[in-house]
Parts: sequence; C-alpha cells; structure tokens
Amino acid sequence: MATYLDVKLVKYVCSCSKRLPVCRLYLCRHCLKLRCSDCVQHEVDTPYCPNCLENMPTSEAKLRKNRCGSCYDCPGCGHTLMTRASNLTLPDPEDATKTISKKMYYMACSFCRWTTRDVNIEDQSVASGAWQDQENEHAKRINNLLEHYRKLAQKEKAEKERKKYVKRRSHMYYTDKYGLTSVAAARKKTLSSISSLSVKDNEEAVSELEPGKRVEDFAPLPDDIFTKPLELSKMTCMEQRLSTPEFQPANAQKMFPQHKHLLIRKSLRCKECEHNLSKPDFNPLSIKFKIQLIALNHIPEIRIGGPAVFVPNKETRVVLTLNNPQTFDTIVKLLAMDDESGLTTAKIELPKKEMILAKRNDLAGYDDNPVKQDFNDDPSSIAFRNLNKVGVIVKVTPEVEQGDVIVSLTMQHEYRNTTATVGTEDTEPPVVWIEQKVFIKLGTIAEKVK
Amino acid sequence: MAVSARHDRGSIKIAPDAIVCEECTLVGEITIGSRTVVHPKARIIAEAGPIVIGDFNIIEELVTIKNRNTDSSQKAQVLIIGNNNVFEVGADVECLKIGDNNIVESRAHVGSNVELTSGCIIGAMCNVSCNEKLAENTVIYGSNCERRFQRDKPPAQGLQIDFLSKILPNYHHLRKPPKSQKA
Repeated sequence: MATYLDVKLVKYVCSCSKRLPVCRLYLCRHCLKLRCSDCVQHEVDTPYCPNCLENMPTSEAKLRKNRCGSCYDCPGCGHTLMTRASNLTLPDPEDATKTISKKMYYMACSFCRWTTRDVNIEDQSVASGAWQDQENEHAKRINNLLEHYRKLAQKEKAEKERKKYVKRRSHMYYTDKYGLTSVAAARKKTLSSISSLSVKDNEEAVSELEPGKRVEDFAPLPDDIFTKPLELSKMTCMEQRLSTPEFQPANAQKMFPQHKHLLIRKSLRCKECEHNLSKPDFNPLSIKFKIQLIALNHIPEIRIGGPAVFVPNKETRVVLTLNNPQTFDTIVKLLAMDDESGLTTAKIELPKKEMILAKRNDLAGYDDNPVKQDFNDDPSSIAFRNLNKVGVIVKVTPEVEQGDVIVSLTMQHEYRNTTATVGTEDTEPPVVWIEQKVFIKLGTIAEKVK
Repeated sequence: MAVSARHDRGSIKIAPDAIVCEECTLVGEITIGSRTVVHPKARIIAEAGPIVIGDFNIIEELVTIKNRNTDSSQKAQVLIIGNNNVFEVGADVECLKIGDNNIVESRAHVGSNVELTSGCIIGAMCNVSCNEKLAENTVIYGSNCERRFQRDKPPAQGLQIDFLSKILPNYHHLRKPPKSQKA
C-alpha cells in the first residue's frame, strides 16, 4: 500500500529537486522531466458549485462573490443545508369551514440540526430561489470606495497606455504595412476618450469620496455585564462570526444561511514547454480527464517488499518491488547515485544486470491460464515475478549507528514517447531512456538488546 | 424486581404489535412496548436491573442498550426508555432515563450518569458521559461535541416504523410474544 498510505517512504526527486512520493508527481512527456505541483502552472478552468455542480464563467463567479446562488451552508457548522418541505394547513379563503394544505419549504442542516425556523426566517412557498439575502448596511460605502478606486485604476492604466503608445509610434510604419492602421486608430480613439473621461471623472470622484468617519466614543457597557450569567447556547463562536465577516453576528438568533463557496476545476501546465500536464473534462459532473500525465501511470514505481532488521555496518538483504505501469515490456537499470544532499545513511548494492519489467495487462488477473513469463532471470538478483511486478534483491549496509536507514539510487528506464509520432500511425513510437533519482527510507536501525 | 442478571427468556415481555427480530440479543428482564422495532443484531442487556422500552421506538443494528451496575453499593435501578426514540446503527446507550423523541445517532455513546429528557439529539460518534441531565431539545454534534438547542424536537418516525414493520417480517424471523401474554 506504499502508493497511497506510506507515501513518505519512497521519494522521487522532482526536476525542481524536491523529494516527493510518485503519486504526487507528473511526467511532462515533452520535456521528459518530473514535475510537482509546486513547479507547474495552475490555471483556473471554471468555477463550479460543489453541491449543485453548476458551473459558471469566472467573470460571473466574481460578480457573485465566488458563491453559488442557490446552495447554502449552515451558519452554525458549515455543512450544506438541505431544503425540506412541510405541509401547512390554511383555512380556505372561499369556504371558512374547509382547509387547504400548502407546501412550505425551509432549510435544515442534517449535521447540527439547525433550521431556518430556529432564527425565525419565514418558510418559503417555492423550493429554491426565494431566499432573501441579508442587507449589508455598509454596502453603499463599499460600493462608493470600489467605484472611486476603479476610476483611479483606470486613470493610472490610461497613463501607462499613453506612454506605451508614444513609444510604439516608431513601429507604426510596420503596422501600417499589414493594414493595421485602422486598429491602431481605433485604439487611439478609445484611449483618448478613456483618458479624457478618466481625468474628468477622477476629479469628480475625489471630491465625492467622503473620508471615513472616526468612532469617537462607544456606548458604555450595560451595568449587568458582569452579573448576568452568560448563556453560551445563545452566543456564536469565533468561527461562526468570522464566516460572515460583513455581519459577524454575536447572537445565535442572528445567524443567517450563507451562500455556498464555489470551487474551481483547474488544469496544470508545464512551465517550461507550456504543454498541459493535467486537464479535466469541462463538465463538473465528469470525473474524467482529457489529459492526465500523472507520474504513477508512466514511471516504474518502487516499493519496499517487506520489513527488514538493520544492524550497523552489517549487510542486510532487502527486496524492492518494481511495478511497471506502461503497456510494454520495459528495461530498467538500477544504478548507484552520488548523493550530494547527504541524506543517505546506508550503502546499497544493486543488481548489475539490467532487468525487464513485464508490461501491465489489466486483464491478466482474469486469465485462467496465464502466459508463462520467461525473462531468464538471475535468481541472485530477482526474488519473484508476478504479472507486471518484479522483486529485486538489494543488499543494504547501514553506515550509521542509529536512526533511519535511507538509501538512494538512480533508476534508468525506457519510456515510449507517444508525442513524437503524432500523424504517423504506422511507426512505433520511439523509445527514450529517462532517469529518476530515488530516495528510499527502508526502516530504522534496530535497538541493541541489552 | 430481580436484581441479579437473569438469563431466562421468560421474563421478556414484547407487545403484540412490536417488531423484534429473532437475531437480536435480549438478556434479562426486558419489556418492549407497542410498535417498537428492534433490528437484528441489536443487543439489549438487562444486567443490573430491568429495561423498559416504550412505544414507537426504533432500535437499529448493533445498538447496545445496557443496564449496567456501575456502583455495586447502589440499589439496582430500572432503565426506562420513553416513546418515539431512535437509536441509530451502533449506538451505545447505558443511561437509565431516556424521555421521548430523542435521537442517538450512529456510534454515539451515552454513559450511565446522563439523563436524556426529550427531543435531544446525540450526534454520530459523540460521547456523553458526564453526570448531567440534558435539557430538552439539546443537540450535541461534531467531533468536539458542540452543543446547541433547537427550537422544535425532531419529528416522530411514524412512516419509517410503518415501512420497517412491513419489510422486516419478509426477511427476518420475528420473536413472538409468549402465548400467555397474547391472551
């Protein structure tokens, strides 16, 4: 289970020289280098609501403050609120002796059982969309400030553009040559209009912006503040208050459903070659990827075969398991590595011969009489073979008296570069050799029995 | 009242319209009220004193309700459970007094010194074992056992009981009340 649970034992060295487990790495098939999430470009594809899975463009999400319009979170515990229906019996307006039943909706949290009825929010007659938002009393002031600073920014931008424009005038000749004069003229026109507008507006804006009011004094604390017992169940905790920074209710009666935060679907891009490493399907409902170059699918994975007892300066036999995720037989060479980081605490003796990792075959497990594999293995270096796995015997000699036993090695392996064959279907993709540096924490040195 | 744990089945009284599955464990002197549903693999153990369960309760799988004698010097007491309570999968209940309309969620633990009044909800995995009487409509939830009070008590599980009463006999053998009691 070393892939997903004990991920800290076997670490591959990323191209940015960070040591990370293979499940956290990507392989750029254009640069043929490992990339980690710290050395790739993260790009926002689309914001979406994690509850109703509705996606919206970034501009719209920004307008809605990155929150979903129809899904709400519980103000008490942050869990998603569910809409519940209840039947209300009303007297019939036409016939006083009869009653009609009407469906009314309220929202409830299934985790802490908070409901909109708890804080006296009236039930709604439609299931969604009718919930009124709280009015922020400072909204006007905030909008004024935003407007003011937007104008300032516009002015600044216009000034910058003007400078650029002056500089670029020498290139007009070339742009003219390609028939771009009209574009430039249009730009000049808008620029001048913006600049004249912004200069005029800015003077206006500065004058209309009133300075913030200073709070001179507070109302004194009520007399019973120290004598009245505190009812904790009616107070809100810090987390609850800070989840709505614009209202910060101190009283639990003033808690209000909060619009659910949107999440994003993101794609990853290699910073060097600018190719995509990971690109999810556009639809938030889909969990598939259009491009997913996770290293686990391309690079032989090293795992520790089993626990071993280590004694200082004594050779111990350890089995490492190599797992081939590629769909062709792969030749792998294990080589010693000059460790410059000084992390290595043990010497490792690796098999000298290169070995072949059988190809991955997802259906092999279901085969009644599996094909006998014969790779002429050297029994002194190969412990076992099972489908696309191979157990490699290595000999480890710890060089420290106590602490962790860490070995390092370089793994050279074949990789079939599928990108090089775009358009030429007949030829086999060329095989390239790539090299990974690996650090393995095999265990700790056994305590001496006294 | 019998003080020591009695393992005879004769002292178990089940109301005629209660649904008690054969595979549940009932030990000691137990009374189960009308329309109460006891799922298979539930354990009701009247070790230190009798257990009386009211009407319209749901006791789900792997629930343990135990009348345990924590203090041997004290006289054995009767564990009384009211009406319309729900004990969800794996709940562990030792408290002696449970009122009406309570919900003990999955894997929650209620110790023997607690008293549940009514409308209380003990959230999943919450552990309540202090010596206290929980006020009405208390909700305990989350990994830190946070508390709050809710306005309404949880609704009765009438529909669920109807459904279980219909479905459970199709797939499980039921414990029949003794003939003498039926008459």
